[in-house]
Amino acid sequence: MHGEYKIPGGKLVVVDLNVTDGALRDVVLSGDFFLEPAEALEWMAAAIEGLPVDTPVEMIAERVRGAAAHAELLGITPEGVAEAVRRALQGGAQ
Amino acid sequence: MSTYPSSSWRAYDWQLIRDAPIIPVMHMALDEALLEEVAAGRRPPTLRIWEWAASAVVIGRFQSLRNEVDLEGAQRHGVQVVRRITGGGAMFIEPGNTITYSIYAPVELVAGMSMVDSYAFFDRWVLDALASLGVEAWYQPINDITSAAGKIGGAAQTRRNGAVLHHVTMAYDIDSAKMLEVLRIGREKLSDKGIASAAKRVDPLRRQTGLPRDAIIERMIETFRTQNGLTDSALKPEEWQAAERLVETKFGTEEWLRAVP
Repeated sequence: MHGEYKIPGGKLVVVDLNVTDGALRDVVLSGDFFLEPAEALEWMAAAIEGLPVDTPVEMIAERVRGAAAHAELLGITPEGVAEAVRRALQGGAQ
Repeated sequence: MSTYPSSSWRAYDWQLIRDAPIIPVMHMALDEALLEEVAAGRRPPTLRIWEWAASAVVIGRFQSLRNEVDLEGAQRHGVQVVRRITGGGAMFIEPGNTITYSIYAPVELVAGMSMVDSYAFFDRWVLDALASLGVEAWYQPINDITSAAGKIGGAAQTRRNGAVLHHVTMAYDIDSAKMLEVLRIGREKLSDKGIASAAKRVDPLRRQTGLPRDAIIERMIETFRTQNGLTDSALKPEEWQAAERLVETKFGTEEWLRAVP
């Protein structure tokens, strides 16, 4: 499943994922934002991986915020990532 | 208005590198190699003007290859696809159609500045150069150089070991039809820009100035030299070799290209 969200005044955040046995799997986060260090991309994706499919967006954002606590984010926000996840789930199959 | 004095640039002995045309993957590797050299203090802060030996799609560090690039279209047009070390968006490059440069500097040059402010700071001299050619351009945060007639270019940065790489690609001319055959440009990306056509977003410098590409580059170099000082320099053999090694181990590998599938 595939979701995109253009952060107002920021960049495009894209989430690709699968749902297996009610959990978010194979989460790939991408987009034209900026991150330091680059590894923060995997930290944020890992924070979403395995979450129950009915996890509230606020909680997804909170998980992402925690994972990126030691990273510098530009053009991307934890809320924006959570919104892209929500859209991916809402959109269904690609 | 920037509150940072341009005199801070003057604290350094800026070096100019003008490449002969080289292949896209080598440009990716040179950016990393030269960033490391400046970080290690082996090379003074440097401005590098790029020349391209082949057409390319350059995707950002965090972009999905399959979401951004039409690989079949790229192959059909002989366009090489590479991933760079900075974030930001995909660019479609044809030799002679773009003006690309990199700045490698100590982060102390932008100390105390927010990331967003540092983008505009690094390209102030370019806006001055364009203004002197009659192009009124400005910075549209985060990383766009734009004008009333449309977007001109985009910047991207990354930082490492106390050094910052800031590079920019500006459109001199553009084959919009071909661009749309090699890039996948989604509607969502354009949603808060209020513009329906991706091709319409860019207004290249050729149309805006009527000048040859080299004349614009010469004016840019002249402007940088006048404002900040600039010594003509060249790649050292060991820098070239370091970049070649990086092509072999990183930038030329499928693993790197597909780092975000």
